[in-house]
Amino acid sequence: MQDRQQRLRHALITVWTIAVIVFVYLPTICITLASLTASRYFQFPISKWGLEWWHKTFSSIEIRQLLSTSIIIALCVTVIAVAIAFFGAMAFARYDWKGRSLYQKVILLPIFFPQSVLGLALLLWFNTLGLPLSWMTAVFAHLVWIVPVVTLVISIQVYSFDPALEEAAFDLGASRWQVLREVTLPVLFPGLFSGALFAFLLSWGNFPLSLFTTGADTTVPEYLYAKMVAGYTPGVPVLGTVSTVGAAILLIGGYGLILATRRAKAAE
Amino acid sequence: MRLGHGERSAIPVVLFLLAGFAAPLIAVIWFSFMPPRSFSFGGAPTLENYRTIFESSSYISFLWSLGLAFIAVVVLALICYPVAYGLVRVFGRWATLLTLLFTIPLFVSENIRLYGWVLFFIKNGVLLGTLKSMFGWQLESILFTLPAIIFGMVYVYLPFMLFPMTLGISMVPNETRDAAFDLGASRWQVFTEVELPLSMPGITIGFLLTFVLAVGAIAEAKVLGGQQVIPISHDIEIAFTYAQNWPLGAALSVLLMLVVGVLVILALRRFDLDKFLGRR
Amino acid sequence: MMQSLPILSLKSVRKMFGPHAAVDSIDLDIAEGEFFTIVGPSGSGKTTMLRMLAGMDTPTSGDILLRGERINDLPANKRPTCMVFQSLALFPHRTVGQNIEFPLKIRGETPESRKARALQLIDLLRLPQSYYGKNVLKCSGGERQRVALARALAYDPQILFFDEPLSAIDYKLRKTLEKELKDIHRETKKTFVYITHSLEEAMVMSDRIGVMRAGKLVQVGSPHEIYSAPNTRFVSEFVGDVNVVPVSLAKDGLLHVAETGARLKPPAIPPGFTQGHLVIRPEFLRFLANAGEADNAMAGRVYNEYVLGSRIQYQVRVGRNVFAVEKLRQQAFKGKLDDDVTIGWDAGDAILVTD
Repeated sequence: MQDRQQRLRHALITVWTIAVIVFVYLPTICITLASLTASRYFQFPISKWGLEWWHKTFSSIEIRQLLSTSIIIALCVTVIAVAIAFFGAMAFARYDWKGRSLYQKVILLPIFFPQSVLGLALLLWFNTLGLPLSWMTAVFAHLVWIVPVVTLVISIQVYSFDPALEEAAFDLGASRWQVLREVTLPVLFPGLFSGALFAFLLSWGNFPLSLFTTGADTTVPEYLYAKMVAGYTPGVPVLGTVSTVGAAILLIGGYGLILATRRAKAAE
Repeated sequence: MRLGHGERSAIPVVLFLLAGFAAPLIAVIWFSFMPPRSFSFGGAPTLENYRTIFESSSYISFLWSLGLAFIAVVVLALICYPVAYGLVRVFGRWATLLTLLFTIPLFVSENIRLYGWVLFFIKNGVLLGTLKSMFGWQLESILFTLPAIIFGMVYVYLPFMLFPMTLGISMVPNETRDAAFDLGASRWQVFTEVELPLSMPGITIGFLLTFVLAVGAIAEAKVLGGQQVIPISHDIEIAFTYAQNWPLGAALSVLLMLVVGVLVILALRRFDLDKFLGRR
Repeated sequence: MMQSLPILSLKSVRKMFGPHAAVDSIDLDIAEGEFFTIVGPSGSGKTTMLRMLAGMDTPTSGDILLRGERINDLPANKRPTCMVFQSLALFPHRTVGQNIEFPLKIRGETPESRKARALQLIDLLRLPQSYYGKNVLKCSGGERQRVALARALAYDPQILFFDEPLSAIDYKLRKTLEKELKDIHRETKKTFVYITHSLEEAMVMSDRIGVMRAGKLVQVGSPHEIYSAPNTRFVSEFVGDVNVVPVSLAKDGLLHVAETGARLKPPAIPPGFTQGHLVIRPEFLRFLANAGEADNAMAGRVYNEYVLGSRIQYQVRVGRNVFAVEKLRQQAFKGKLDDDVTIGWDAGDAILVTD
């Protein structure tokens, strides 16, 4: 009796979860469908399928410019965020120090902050400093939000790091730099890698911060938004699909890589 | 005095957040006291902008934002709890894959995903087009209505409720549940007496995160809601852009910051992050 | 024992954490080649002390001398000493061989000489040679223990420190590893400084034992001295179950028990003793046919019995107190529970302590 009830409950939970997953992916599917239509306007059911809009979108110089701006911003954000957040995570999770508990909470504030307002605040700040807006100010703006996120991601790895590893290496004659290179960084690598993945993808998909801080440069999400408000063009679903599938491939590929290296090591 | 390792490691982040977070916020606060429509810090401080806000209808946007966020949080809690419970206790080794599936959309710009819903709900779109061609039904679209905005918020902020909740539930040791059963508690009593209180840290963070994000939301109302409701963030954006009244926008931002800040500080005050994140 | 220069000397070493002294004015000499164990309950300051000796903490005051040279400020990577950690701290991203070679690599030795040395150490630690390329995470608890020791030995330290490395290992394997460690000590002839909370463990391996309590070294001596002549109630209780009776020295030269009014024949009385505790080990208590068979005797009732492997411990209620009496299995008590009995001991078998 108890057992049947439990099975029923588990079945309900499973069905519910599948429904939520469908809910999460439904819009993505809609966008993909819309990108595959040959007609100028979206109408469902689709009468004529085709890849014309994919050709048109990718042969456009404007779109290539957008993609390269977005990628450059995301790469810069990734490198800087991981460097800062590595130390941030050590302060967050590795060392015991006086201001730590306060520091841990302060770090969270930018994450909890409404991003559109943060974007405007940064716009005002750049204006005050007299900085001209460009993709570089956007990198800075993205970092304000992404550094804390990446710090948390790396911290989770640092928590499971045994500080005695560093002490042991030091005790065995290694210098501070050798300890970092031979022990700390390799052991924390999965965390740093996840952090980098998060940094890249979050920057790639960010809209509210980019909107107010890129100036004349335009990122993919900004372009899409502008086109959405202006009226329907099938280029929007195409770029949307690229953006989604790209993120999925990067994420799944990245975690696949981590799993594969872990397996290979375990097989030794 | 020589700084310890902890302090030295914290320096880059702290300096960066001072320059990139604290300074802009201080600039905003300062600007909110500048005369209306000025673009520099030079003016004589005034409360004019705040008076404008309380005398105008801006506070209605505030109430809308708070109300919508509240409804979204309640709906999200109901949707996410069974899923979070399943991820921790039911799905076993499938949980990792499911977590990954819930994570991927986080990295796609929310505009794009909301736009997908537009394509779904729009007249002759995926939903209504299918119904029309299959059954000949002609229904009104829910797009550009109030429920559509809440729907959008629930959709966009789902992972922010789900993941903290999952972490929270995973903090309940299996033995305590078994012990409660063993001591004669019913399923419902186990839930209210053991599981809920012990997973509360995670649930609180989920509530807080989604509420704060939803209060500051802007895209849902713009993309799905037409102009049915103007949330506070939209008012702020208008003040900064079309209206070119930065001090007014700054004053509105300060009010929003106050609401968010008070909530966050209240919730995080007695929170042990080490315990929350260190478990693994 | 200490004719030659001690390899390690502590001169009033003290470590403060805020107002609290974790290690409080310790003086100690450790001889070359000695196996010295520091024993104490958790929080007694033994780990802090070991970390200062290894160079991971610096003393607040006092001096640490290595062969007469002050090394207070010498960092761990410059000290010719090496530590085996409680968690072992094996590098999870390295193989067994790479772990052992780590100090040699740091020192810049060639891959060939590193490998030769690593294989030598693998042999010394009684591991199969095939383990050279094995993933450390796949080794069992005992194997990891050996890898950690091999890695420390590869550093070729003058002193090896051990921070409770056996505490997470189950009883049977621990007993084996304790003996192995003592064998390694004999084979390498290095100085070992070991800390543990188990006096039993310390007795098996050590040449000398220091007992720590609240940051102070309360007694230093051979395992035999610690066992048979504890200088405080704390040390005597640390060794195992003991019967402790609060007593004062009466004018007639007998020990007076205030609670019961009993008068007991004393063992050798330490100079200046007026009041303190009489410690009687359970194995020195006997069941008597009549009270005259021992110097001291008292009547009680058998309340329970515990089988401790080769020995059996009986709990005997005397008034409001309970005494533990231990007998070898072959000499077990013939009666049954709740029997009225007389137990006693000879005066010389008990120990008087002040604290």
